[in-house]
Amino acid sequence: VMDLNNLGHALLFPFNIIFCILKSCLGLFIPSRRKDLRGEVVLITGGGRGIGRHLGKEFAKNGAKKVILWGRTERCLKETCEEISLTTGAECHYFLCDVANREEVYKQAKVVREKVGDVTILVNNAAVVHGKSLMDSDDDALMKTQYINTLGQFWTTKAFLPRMLELCHGHVVCINSILSLSSIPGAIDYCTSKASSLAFMESLTLGLLDCPGVGCTTVLPFHTNTDMFQGMRVRFPQLFPPLNPELVAQRTVDAVRTNTPFIYLPWTMRALVILKSFLPQAALEEIHRFAGCYTCMDTFKGRT
Amino acid sequence: MNIVVEFCLVSCKVFWTLVLAGTRWLMRPKEKNVMGQICVITGAGSGLGRDLAKEFARRGATVVLWDINRETNEETAEIVRKIYSELTGSVSGEAGDLPTIQAQAYTYLCDVSKREEVYLTADKVQCEVGNIDILINSAGVVSGHHLLECPDELLERTMMVNCHAHFWTTKAFLPKMLQLNHGHIVTVASSLGLLRTAGVEDYCASKFGAIGFHESLSHELKAIEKDGIKMTLVCAFLVDGHIFNGCKIRKKTSPFFHQLKPEQCVQQVVRAILTDQSMICTPRSMYMASFMKTVLPFEAIVCMYQFLGADKCMYHSKAHQINANNNETELTSVQQARIQQVSLEKKGC
Repeated sequence: VMDLNNLGHALLFPFNIIFCILKSCLGLFIPSRRKDLRGEVVLITGGGRGIGRHLGKEFAKNGAKKVILWGRTERCLKETCEEISLTTGAECHYFLCDVANREEVYKQAKVVREKVGDVTILVNNAAVVHGKSLMDSDDDALMKTQYINTLGQFWTTKAFLPRMLELCHGHVVCINSILSLSSIPGAIDYCTSKASSLAFMESLTLGLLDCPGVGCTTVLPFHTNTDMFQGMRVRFPQLFPPLNPELVAQRTVDAVRTNTPFIYLPWTMRALVILKSFLPQAALEEIHRFAGCYTCMDTFKGRT
Repeated sequence: MNIVVEFCLVSCKVFWTLVLAGTRWLMRPKEKNVMGQICVITGAGSGLGRDLAKEFARRGATVVLWDINRETNEETAEIVRKIYSELTGSVSGEAGDLPTIQAQAYTYLCDVSKREEVYLTADKVQCEVGNIDILINSAGVVSGHHLLECPDELLERTMMVNCHAHFWTTKAFLPKMLQLNHGHIVTVASSLGLLRTAGVEDYCASKFGAIGFHESLSHELKAIEKDGIKMTLVCAFLVDGHIFNGCKIRKKTSPFFHQLKPEQCVQQVVRAILTDQSMICTPRSMYMASFMKTVLPFEAIVCMYQFLGADKCMYHSKAHQINANNNETELTSVQQARIQQVSLEKKGC
């Protein structure tokens, strides 16, 4: 009987796939339902500047009731908080928290729960980049990137996901990067940490499929025009211009509202990922070299 | 005008690499000779590490075995020494003027998650053995828990052994390889690094991190044009009898993926390393699965995972568990028993 069952599954499988593909193509033409963000409590790590700042504003504009910002620089957090409170109707709070520090994350999570309420949308956005080749990198800096970009996301998810599961309502968002799928020299710490984080989110997304109230979204943007990757120069800026952080924020909030699990920004990055999955390594190396990926981190300055 | 010319040139080069890849697939390239070369294998005490040690020993390479578990490491060393004596025996049985096998097995106790230990042990290897030719990062652990049930220390440990250890071992041995423009770095990830499954977030994260590291490093080496240093990525799918012993995923897919015996898997892997192949997936159907993953919409990918039985989920039951607030102690004790079983099965780093 088990064999018949398996055989049945095997026969249905290609039809299942075709059905999913058709459904997804249809979705391109018919606008999807967008869920209401009113009443949501959003927590954004690294919310003081860069994409995080725009995310805070965007969530607030889309109706979020409360926006909580976590970060390490009080000045940036305070400024962003004031801006959000003044320009939108949302209540904005900020707390100092270094996501690399596990105990601090759990402590601050408790503080948030007591002072503000249950977090229903968690945005793992905090990230750093060291930006040197492996042999030039300082060991501690390498590990710092891993702790903030990857392990920090483990801790924040562990802190807030249980409550989301209890309420059967929530969303975990991860601001990842296309570099997790297509690495470049000169950012080995960042590429490794983003790759780990992507796999973590993929595993989490699969795990949460059975709990329909809790969703996941992972955003993979191309080079975004913020302080973090200041100095990085793409070879064909007319073809592949750096993304505007405001656009990244808008598209992220949209993806959360439509429950899209993975989104590439711009969509052309998907073509790159497809190419990568069947071209031999030598071919990819030629393409990378031509696209200027081998020299783009030479002028990297980072946050000054 | 220059750009157009360059674009044409690049297109030609890409086409040529495709032709080369096709030829390689048709005409099996010759395996390189590793006799007398020095091969460092982390996690050599068990699993793929031990099998690789045996294979390289059979080809006359000197193997340097690193593991956190002294017993299993010594066991591997014994097996390897037996292979060496068999080899020497067979060689001296033929012509008398053939050189005797000089290879030896060296064992070192090392926790690769600890940076300082790795550097110290690497220095010792440099002094006692010499410049290494092949580095195989095979050490791996899994916590066996879902994210929310996993103690934080175990999460960290999985990341540190499976991913961060690669930083330290590579930083320890790469400078010499760069100097000599000769070497080979092998990263043992697993197919769970390419495909995902629910419930092992830490393992997936760490293995895909290792893949990200490997690719990043390949590009770095290519950018500085150190062609003498080769890199190979190994993605083995839940090989029978190794780290995922008794894993449910394997059972459900067994009718469709012929059970890959460890020997077959290792043979394929060693062939790939010795022919300087940049990536090897076992079984070969993994290539198809990972390609499908990039083109299919998410729902179709989920279908594929469900078909493979790779989407086991406990979150729904977890939510019910908290809401119901009974049966909790029962579940916990069952989970604890499973935890104990898994931790007994996973040995070595």
